[in-house]
Amino acid sequence: MDKLKFAFYWAASCGGCEIAVLDIDEKILDVVEKADIVFWPVALDIKYKDVEAFQDKYIDVCFFNGAIRTSEHEEMAHLLRAKSKTLVAFGACACFGGIPGLANVSDRDEIFNLVYKELPSVSNPDETTPQETYSAPEGELTLPQFFDTVKALHQVCDVDYFLPGCPPTPELIEQALTAIFEGTLPPKGSTLAPEKALCEECPLEIQEKKIPFIKRPYQVIPDGKRCLLEQGIVCMGINTRAGCGARCIKANMPCRGCMGPTPEVTDQGAKLVSAIASILGVEGEERMTEKEVEALIDQIKDPLGTFYRYTLPISLLRRKVMKK
Amino acid sequence: MVGSVMVVGGGIAGMQASLDLADSGFRVYLVDKAPTIGGVMAQLDKTFPTLDCSMCIMAPKLVATGRHHNIHLLTNADIINVEGNPGNFTVTVKMNPRFVNAEKCTGCGLCAQYCPVEAVNEYDERLTLRRGIYVDYPQAVPLVYAIDREKCIGCGLCENICQAEAIEYDQTPSEEKVNVGAIILAAGFDEFEPDTKKEYGYGRFKNVVTATEFERILSASGPFAGHVVRPSDGEIPKRIAFLQCVGSRDEKSNKYCSAVCCMYATKEAIIAKEHNPDLEATIFFMDMRTYGKGFEQFYQRAQSEYGLSYIRSRVPCIEENPETQNLLLTYETEDGTITKAEFDMVVLSVGLEPPKSSQELSTVFGVPLNDYGFLDWKIFEPLKAKEGIYACGAFSGPKDIPDTVAQASGAAAMASGVISGERGTLVEEKVYPQEIDVAEQQPRIGVFVCWCGINIGGIVNVPEVMEYASTLPNVVFVDQNLYTCSQDTQEKIKQAVEEHNLNRVVVASCTPRTHEPLFQSTIREAGLNPYLFEMTNIRDQCSWVHMHTPEEATEKAKDLVRMAVAKSNLLEPLKSSSVEVTQSGLVIGGGIAGMTAALGLAQQGFTVHLVEKEDHLGGLLRSIRFTMSGEDPQEYLATLEQSLRDHPNVHIHTGTTVERIDGYVGNFTTALSSGEEIRHGICVVAVGGQEHKPASYLYGKDERVVTQLEFEDMLSKGVKAKTVVMINCVESRDDTKEYCSRVCCSEAVKNALKLKEKNPDTNVYILYRDMRTYAFREQYYDRARENGIVFMRYDPETKPRLEKKGESLVLYAHDAALDLDFELHPDLVVLSTGVSPYDNSALSQMLKVPLDRDGFFLEAHMKLRPVDFATDGVFMAGLAHSPKFIDETISQAYGAVARACTIISKERIETEPIIAEVDEELCCGCQVCIPMCPYNARELDEEENIVKVNEVLCKGCGSCVAACPSGAAQQRHFRDNQLSSMIEAFVRR
Amino acid sequence: MYEPKIIGFLCNWCSYAAADLAGTSRIQYPSNMRAIRVMCSSRIDPEHVLRAFVNGADGVLIAGCHPGDCHYISGNYKTERKYVLMRKMLEQFGIDPRRLRLEWCSSAEGGKFAQVVTEMTEELRTLGPIQLGAGD
Repeated sequence: MDKLKFAFYWAASCGGCEIAVLDIDEKILDVVEKADIVFWPVALDIKYKDVEAFQDKYIDVCFFNGAIRTSEHEEMAHLLRAKSKTLVAFGACACFGGIPGLANVSDRDEIFNLVYKELPSVSNPDETTPQETYSAPEGELTLPQFFDTVKALHQVCDVDYFLPGCPPTPELIEQALTAIFEGTLPPKGSTLAPEKALCEECPLEIQEKKIPFIKRPYQVIPDGKRCLLEQGIVCMGINTRAGCGARCIKANMPCRGCMGPTPEVTDQGAKLVSAIASILGVEGEERMTEKEVEALIDQIKDPLGTFYRYTLPISLLRRKVMKK
Repeated sequence: MVGSVMVVGGGIAGMQASLDLADSGFRVYLVDKAPTIGGVMAQLDKTFPTLDCSMCIMAPKLVATGRHHNIHLLTNADIINVEGNPGNFTVTVKMNPRFVNAEKCTGCGLCAQYCPVEAVNEYDERLTLRRGIYVDYPQAVPLVYAIDREKCIGCGLCENICQAEAIEYDQTPSEEKVNVGAIILAAGFDEFEPDTKKEYGYGRFKNVVTATEFERILSASGPFAGHVVRPSDGEIPKRIAFLQCVGSRDEKSNKYCSAVCCMYATKEAIIAKEHNPDLEATIFFMDMRTYGKGFEQFYQRAQSEYGLSYIRSRVPCIEENPETQNLLLTYETEDGTITKAEFDMVVLSVGLEPPKSSQELSTVFGVPLNDYGFLDWKIFEPLKAKEGIYACGAFSGPKDIPDTVAQASGAAAMASGVISGERGTLVEEKVYPQEIDVAEQQPRIGVFVCWCGINIGGIVNVPEVMEYASTLPNVVFVDQNLYTCSQDTQEKIKQAVEEHNLNRVVVASCTPRTHEPLFQSTIREAGLNPYLFEMTNIRDQCSWVHMHTPEEATEKAKDLVRMAVAKSNLLEPLKSSSVEVTQSGLVIGGGIAGMTAALGLAQQGFTVHLVEKEDHLGGLLRSIRFTMSGEDPQEYLATLEQSLRDHPNVHIHTGTTVERIDGYVGNFTTALSSGEEIRHGICVVAVGGQEHKPASYLYGKDERVVTQLEFEDMLSKGVKAKTVVMINCVESRDDTKEYCSRVCCSEAVKNALKLKEKNPDTNVYILYRDMRTYAFREQYYDRARENGIVFMRYDPETKPRLEKKGESLVLYAHDAALDLDFELHPDLVVLSTGVSPYDNSALSQMLKVPLDRDGFFLEAHMKLRPVDFATDGVFMAGLAHSPKFIDETISQAYGAVARACTIISKERIETEPIIAEVDEELCCGCQVCIPMCPYNARELDEEENIVKVNEVLCKGCGSCVAACPSGAAQQRHFRDNQLSSMIEAFVRR
Repeated sequence: MYEPKIIGFLCNWCSYAAADLAGTSRIQYPSNMRAIRVMCSSRIDPEHVLRAFVNGADGVLIAGCHPGDCHYISGNYKTERKYVLMRKMLEQFGIDPRRLRLEWCSSAEGGKFAQVVTEMTEELRTLGPIQLGAGD
């Protein structure tokens, strides 16, 4: 049988997903045995124009990680879509926008001002910010456009599969590769992870979901036994897909939601607001004054940043209202 | 024997009794003199002590009563004759004409808009005017107009405007004979009319109003739309005085205490204060009688949180300043100074009197009245008027709503006890055709837009809305109707469903709160599941509120229709499932409450297990030696115990405790300490309470200091003492126990009278804070004073002190009324220590039911569900609920029986169709939903690690669904996709 | 003139009844609100609110029974907490929290219901049409 042709690409990402591919350890050898890698900017010197020269659907499987932050990312998304039989959104950023997606609480001007002018460590007396075009003596230089709004991959092109996680765990990657090699992939559009939420595989004990207060992780040492949410720590495992093996929780840290929402949830943040506000202060709620309710809810310091940590670009509102 | 009951009076008592009977297999005829039911509660703004909105909590009962297929309303009717015997009475009812055909009237109200005649509005306590053709209040049941023929000028306008052709000027009275097995009298009360008390100037001074008038003034639906203003000039009053005991505790009018006025005055003052925080509210009273559950705390809050002033003085007269129409009160304070104070408004806390019809009812039904004109009853038979005829509510004496409701259920149990063998014989069940399976069908939606005469059509362009509806996706049929609710339109709808193969129906008309069941029934007749129906309100919430902007109203109607059609595309047929019921009961506690409940259930034909932790039955009643009215409690106890032991349905387990309770309504399994396991469908908690043992007043240190119950025992054996001092409110109404124990004042009076009867020479002192001998118990307080018992009031700040000097006891007391110090040398000190709950925590956890802050069991609703727990199938009676008298305990125990019968009279319980469900493929067992449910309907299946919905317990609020973070939970009929479809259709695209 | 569009989630037992009573009492108020009836205000989850904004609502009204009056005992307490947290989050999204309003209306408060809709309509008129920023 002919080897499959694989491609890897990184858009707005931290690079963790690239490393994750290697985290499958010696299994990588199986991959190399069954697949040729035809494009992988981090590892192979293949130019965009080489990719452009591929026939359509030349690539069998393209793993695309990172969010869509710039016009370059978007162009590459369209290009790789055209050249790939199967396009996999790889990792939280490609699936949901991920951590870069939190930049949707600001826009290009705000980001440029902060990063190139306002940060105390910046020395930029001319207050130069990146320009899309620049006329140099040698000719016109261009940079990709930096968008106001970060998007997930499926918001700019058609995506076949989603492999979530920050980064996807070796187990999930392996399972996905096995399915690819054995031709047992589920229907197009599927997420290659379990449908249930993380509580399903969480080792901690659930006693009663009534929480009298919210504590931030630095304020409390969890007892290692009881459900973190019941200890007052915001844990997003209640509507984040399982499949990670509760890694963070086993390290005594709450789930931050990198596997994205469960399939029936459109807006992960809104659903968490609903769930957590419902159980917070439920004991004795009939005796609570309006002020006490306000104070209680105020213990949640940054609801947007907390509840949409990985999914802001795919939420209903997608971003903060832009100042015009 | 006949399996039906007549209930006379359609107030809250009559409605509750009717619902309990109808829900346990009996046909009910509910008769009311008025054209609509609802009674006094319909007039109230809010209810004490929770300040619940009265109409909000009552409306569901009103609607349920009006809709119940087994309750036949006979309104505008008088009873003229009764013949026959218990089990088989024939009652002749005179149906007075209302001059409006009840079948045809749609309640649209157009006639009243056009009627030129004005008449005094009794519902608004004569503060407003209504029309000659009228309905008492907007939520009235039945919603059928009536013509006031005394006022009607016969102009014919209503006849011309009524497109339903419901006006019938030529109606005449008719007679109807009704055959029933038992009768319940729930005739309620009438108010004391203060006109006779000239000194208060009621009727002359505009700003002197009765408490009921003030209730209407407070009400958002009242004469001033909820603005608290005074009648003379519409100004906001800054100073309001409430005068207590107007027509109560009064030699010249009614001697008895009306039992509710202290609370309602406090309530009204608090609400007025909430309307206007700067208001100065002063309540003039003699004794503050806040004796019920949660009442004392309410009274304390009234002072500490709301700053109400309470002045202990009976105001002799009111004068008016003719210029300002302010009112001048001259009164004597406790220290004897004469004080004058000016108020902007005075509210008279008028007492409760027997209903005006009481004499007539007594004659027609042959039932006895007491000296005051209320129904006469005996302490151990508080609900019985005579064989086969029972009474409840204020007709048998002034009482508040929870006591009334408990009695109403109790009377239902007594009445159905007579005819329990006839259960189910007269129940009518409507038969519907086989349902069409629509699962595989594309939606085919029919939309019916209603004109409602000109109520909708006069504002909203109905043809345009109809035309628009026909353009919406999957709408295959549209029609407009003059009255969509009329009988002939139902036929039209059915025909349309059949001819056009409709599988969804949308009606755009009035409010689903009243009309949805009618249309659901119509489409069922056409073979459609009733939940394939969606209704949108283009009248009450559109044409009636946008009368001056017809185009906007039309646009809104289109939007609403579009939203309803969007949802209807996604509607699914719903079925209720049913669960088998173990038709037997468990009663926990073998005191008077438990024994009565057990016997009541047995008499209804059900097996009942009575579990008592002691080796003998009787509970606290074993310590009661006398009653005020002279009966022998021990004799009664012995008879009751014998009846229980003789009854084949009763299984008594003494010396036994409950170890574990599993299951839910209809299907409980209980393990007893004896090792036995009992299966039962309901559970009555009647664990009682105990006399509080004090730590003060040398109790336990000197044998001359005893409690009231100990003293009662001594009395039965003979007491030798020259001076006996009783101290009330010992460790009550203070930090030890915040609540008032309700019974102690009367208990002290009872024992004092008994002592005086036995030893007339003994000096008896009762040291009290407020004498709370409410209702007819006031007569014993009067008698005690006549018999030379000395009453001395003390303030909590200057409590009596008891010391031992040498061998003698010395009691130092400060008489607050005389402002003098006294020194008494009692031979015996009797402490009224009140009632404490047992430690109920274990049982409350086993049953998953809550306790209140004082440790008593907490009912589902303080006002309208006094014997129910929020958890279905569990009920309570007696001291487990709160301190109360024997007659009240018996009433409540029978109440629990009736409520329990609504469950165990059925072989299967039907679940609600609109409930929550869980997608087991998605539920991760996070358990966020569990604490959302106040009904314990959410439970973890530990094996599968999935939370399931107990369909029997779920009430379908959807709070668990909203809380479910993973989207595993859905609410039927209000699914996320259904709600989203409406949201997405909100803007026209 | 700009006319705001309002979605009103009304609980069946109190606030929907209050809206009906406003009708039977013929109290006039602006026609900007479209009601969606739910059994209890606690059924509403923030996702519905966001969906309303995304679908063109300039304002969202949630109305339930007064605290202590909930037909389902305690649903409205949950509604209140969700609402408080929701408002806080809306602010972070740059949406004026006044666009979301929670009111308690008893079934006797037809006048209050009409007043709430009137006030809310007026307030939204001054706030102007909702802006949701998609950026580029």
